[in-house]
Amino acid sequence: MDTIAEPALDLDEVTVAYGAALALENIDGMVAPGEAVALIGPNGAGKSTLIKTILGLIPLSSGRITVLGTTPAQARRDVAYVPQADTLDPEFPISVGQVVLMGRYRRIGWVRRPKAADKQAAHDALEQVGLADRAKHRFGTLSGGQRQRVLLARAIAAGPRLLLLDEPFNGVDAVSEQALLDAIAALKEDGAAVVVATHDLALAHLACEEVCLLNRCQYGFGPTQATLTPDRLRAAYGGHALELRGDRVIVAHA
Amino acid sequence: MYQIFIEPFTYPFMARALAELLILGVLAGTVGVLILLRRLAFMTDALTHTVFPGVVIGYLLSGEGGIFWGALAAGAATAVLLTLLTRHRAVTEDTALAVILTTFFAIGVVLVSRESGYTTDLTAFLFGRILTVTPQQLTQTLVITVLVIAALLVLRRPLLTRSFDPYGAQAAGYHIGLLDLTTNAIVALVVVASVRAVGTVLVIALLIVPAAAARAVSDRLALIIPVAAAFGALAGWAGLAISYDASLHHGLRLASGGTVVLVLIACYLGALAAGTVRRRLLRTVVKAA
Repeated sequence: MDTIAEPALDLDEVTVAYGAALALENIDGMVAPGEAVALIGPNGAGKSTLIKTILGLIPLSSGRITVLGTTPAQARRDVAYVPQADTLDPEFPISVGQVVLMGRYRRIGWVRRPKAADKQAAHDALEQVGLADRAKHRFGTLSGGQRQRVLLARAIAAGPRLLLLDEPFNGVDAVSEQALLDAIAALKEDGAAVVVATHDLALAHLACEEVCLLNRCQYGFGPTQATLTPDRLRAAYGGHALELRGDRVIVAHA
Repeated sequence: MYQIFIEPFTYPFMARALAELLILGVLAGTVGVLILLRRLAFMTDALTHTVFPGVVIGYLLSGEGGIFWGALAAGAATAVLLTLLTRHRAVTEDTALAVILTTFFAIGVVLVSRESGYTTDLTAFLFGRILTVTPQQLTQTLVITVLVIAALLVLRRPLLTRSFDPYGAQAAGYHIGLLDLTTNAIVALVVVASVRAVGTVLVIALLIVPAAAARAVSDRLALIIPVAAAFGALAGWAGLAISYDASLHHGLRLASGGTVVLVLIACYLGALAAGTVRRRLLRTVVKAA
């Protein structure tokens, strides 16, 4: 019934260059509200670049990106970004609750005190990732997986219509992995579109119904099962793909 | 105690010196927390050196009154230069900083060396003249403090987000370039405000040490900021009182600026020790639970 709904994200021949070097070439694809797409590819394939381009932080060389019916810069209010937890300073003197409340800053404004609704939203978001009891702990004292969940909670608190995650499952324990998957599923149910950059094929299967297979160029975009064929994976990953038991493919990193 | 910590300040010039150091302590302690969060200690050190030629040129052009404006011009130039340099990385940041700071500093030294009262002037520029603070200077410092703290209050959320998570801040729509320029300008302004009182060399201690001490005793930003401000102000008071008492009653001529810094360092060491004990205790409590 949602087939005529406006796509949350529309990539049209997206090409990005750093100087003379092409980082992304002719990426096409569409993500509908309530859908999740995994960006799959080896390290250096341009997954993070694509995410930053969707955020409007990197200019396009050619092509067009439409986010929630408008330009990436104008859509930022409804887009949330989840960085990799281990890129952040664990010594930073900030509590878990403060990190999650950051997701509300755009609604709160610069000077006004947070309203009860903001605090409630932050609490609910933290509950959704299963860490409501850690609000007063310092962010850096949590495990890597828990920190990743806190950053997802921060994004949830912002109430996004498009959620972008950069390698959220890297170095994450099984409990946190499940919590992340559950929270992402809940967001989709609420109608948010989700983009997950990952090199973990198994998690791409679990979290997303669509994949975008890329290594600078696009090697496929569509339903996960149909798109991640051994041939395409081998093409995208070059010589680093191994076949196992017929159609299972494990990618060894060079 | 009264004789050491209260009585000296019944003299107007000592009262003014105390007021200046108390205000500067609060200002530098607060801004120091921002420097700590953004890891800008080295940049701040560079800034204190680049302000030096501005101080000298201002003094040569229009005497004592020119110091503030000369320093302000040099500080503004450095803030812009540093913001640009850190955005376009043709050379690594620390190399560029090191080159800028030594160049500017050398220019300052060459300019001072052409003056007749070379050593006296140099000492004043490097270590400040806290005991000759005028009511007008005091007003200037107060105005800067009010402006800077107001700016920090208004910008606290963007600044916190940018310090914690640069990409997240950008994704949230904050303009990083403008925020960084504002940060550098604020640090430059504090250096400029403090330079006449404590000199270019000691400013860095006033900016870095109170925040580092406060960080050692607490993990909470809401506590770190007031503690840093209090550390800065109290160290100023104690340093000034001790140097006055030693000079007057014990025949030991202690430079007030240097004494202030030594008190700061003592506070820092105490805070480090307290912090270590606190962590040990916390760990024991966690283990026992």
